[in-house]
Amino acid sequence: MKLDPSFIWTAFLQILGAIPTTLYITVVSVLAGFVIGIIVALIRIYKVPVLYPIAVGYVTFIRGTPMLTHLLLIYFGLPMIIDGLAVQFGWSFRSVSIPMIGFAYISFSITAGAYMSEVVRSGLLAVDRGQIEAAHSIGMSTPQALRRIVFPQALAASLPNLSNSVIGMLHGSTLAFTVSVVDINAQAQIVASTNWKFFEAYLAAALIFWGLTFLIERVTALIEKRINLYNRGGVA
Amino acid sequence: MGAPFDLSFVFSFLPKLLTTLSTTLLIVACSLLAGVIVGFIIALPRLYKVPVLKTLAEVYISFFRGTPILIQLFLFYYGLPEVLKLVNVDMTRTPVLVFVILTYGLHTGAFMSEMIRASVTAVDKGQVEAAYATGMTSYQAFTRIVLPQALGIAIPVFSNLVIALLKDTSLAFTLGVMEMTGKAQTLGSVTQHFIETYIALALIYLVISFTIEKLLLVAEHRLLRHEAQGSPVKRKFSLQKKASYRHIIADMGPGKGGGA
Repeated sequence: MKLDPSFIWTAFLQILGAIPTTLYITVVSVLAGFVIGIIVALIRIYKVPVLYPIAVGYVTFIRGTPMLTHLLLIYFGLPMIIDGLAVQFGWSFRSVSIPMIGFAYISFSITAGAYMSEVVRSGLLAVDRGQIEAAHSIGMSTPQALRRIVFPQALAASLPNLSNSVIGMLHGSTLAFTVSVVDINAQAQIVASTNWKFFEAYLAAALIFWGLTFLIERVTALIEKRINLYNRGGVA
Repeated sequence: MGAPFDLSFVFSFLPKLLTTLSTTLLIVACSLLAGVIVGFIIALPRLYKVPVLKTLAEVYISFFRGTPILIQLFLFYYGLPEVLKLVNVDMTRTPVLVFVILTYGLHTGAFMSEMIRASVTAVDKGQVEAAYATGMTSYQAFTRIVLPQALGIAIPVFSNLVIALLKDTSLAFTLGVMEMTGKAQTLGSVTQHFIETYIALALIYLVISFTIEKLLLVAEHRLLRHEAQGSPVKRKFSLQKKASYRHIIADMGPGKGGGA
């Protein structure tokens, strides 16, 4: 086995085709995770009776266990639940009709949800309480105050964390290979083992991930500049 | 898929998984040690703005933070022997665990260096100037004044990193290391009770991360006790004190959000 620098480029081109799968997983899990995160964070901030301990338990469990475990639990556990229910209620739907990538979507969304809820919660708590009181004093309802006053500011405060989470999910999507979804990492493995050139293939994959991460960082920096416009301070 | 769910298997799997806990903890401990050392070496050129080394350190951090740990594992496992073959070093007999610890050490090192840098810059500059004014050398000022304060500030991030590292070790099975996740997968396929093994696995990880978190919280309180001195209402003060440096932590950003 000899080092073959030119193969890095060949592998690079072959791996490029798997980028959409990786991005799908990342985008779906981040968006679904964000929705879950907002719900969980609001439950925790407003201390909704029964749901509060459930939300706390969910966040602790997900943050205390590896992402790989969530994926494996969902992959082996969900079919059991679905098939059990299907037999009980006589559905025609069976777990085999769920595509492999579906398991990745579901499990990574659940993972992202717990991390996102912490991002959203810290963002919401970063907004001064006086802001929402001021909104109430001019006659806004709580949903209005949240939507118009608190959320925009919370978003600005939590953007760095959000970007970390997106990058984390991008990197986490490499785990999808364990449920045989062909993402960048799995494609690199295929390219590596068919050509017996492991180092070159993984280097190419690393370069692609590096580039994607760099891109996300740049885009966040731009958005951060834009979203913090209100925050110039002094006399505008 | 597999045998029907049976809760009793969860309990019978727990002790079996615990036998491999030592491997997991060994990886965590060794890579943590390597990570702290690497982190320091990488952070210093950036803190003291050493010309060429600073750029190298930035590239290093960017690479290790910009690529998934799984890719890094494969890269080192397959790449290092080939690179070292060029200089006539034979690595075919090196145990896999060495590669695993090396990769996790270098990976954590990048995050550690950011943590070290952020917490050192978080210490008020006036402190260093005061140290110089009393005639301390820069080495003395660093070890006696800056470091103890930086340590306290760094603990929350450090705790995050340790827990992230613990969970990242679940990937070592991809190289065939028999740590907890690897053991769980073999147990699962031998008995066909997959969910039960993974539930047991999740429980063990949960307990360990919880313990680490609590232990480091105690360490944080100890290291920052100088801030609480002379306060009759300790509890109230500790809340205020938290707020005073929490915003610094929020800006630091070396947390691994979501991370694999």
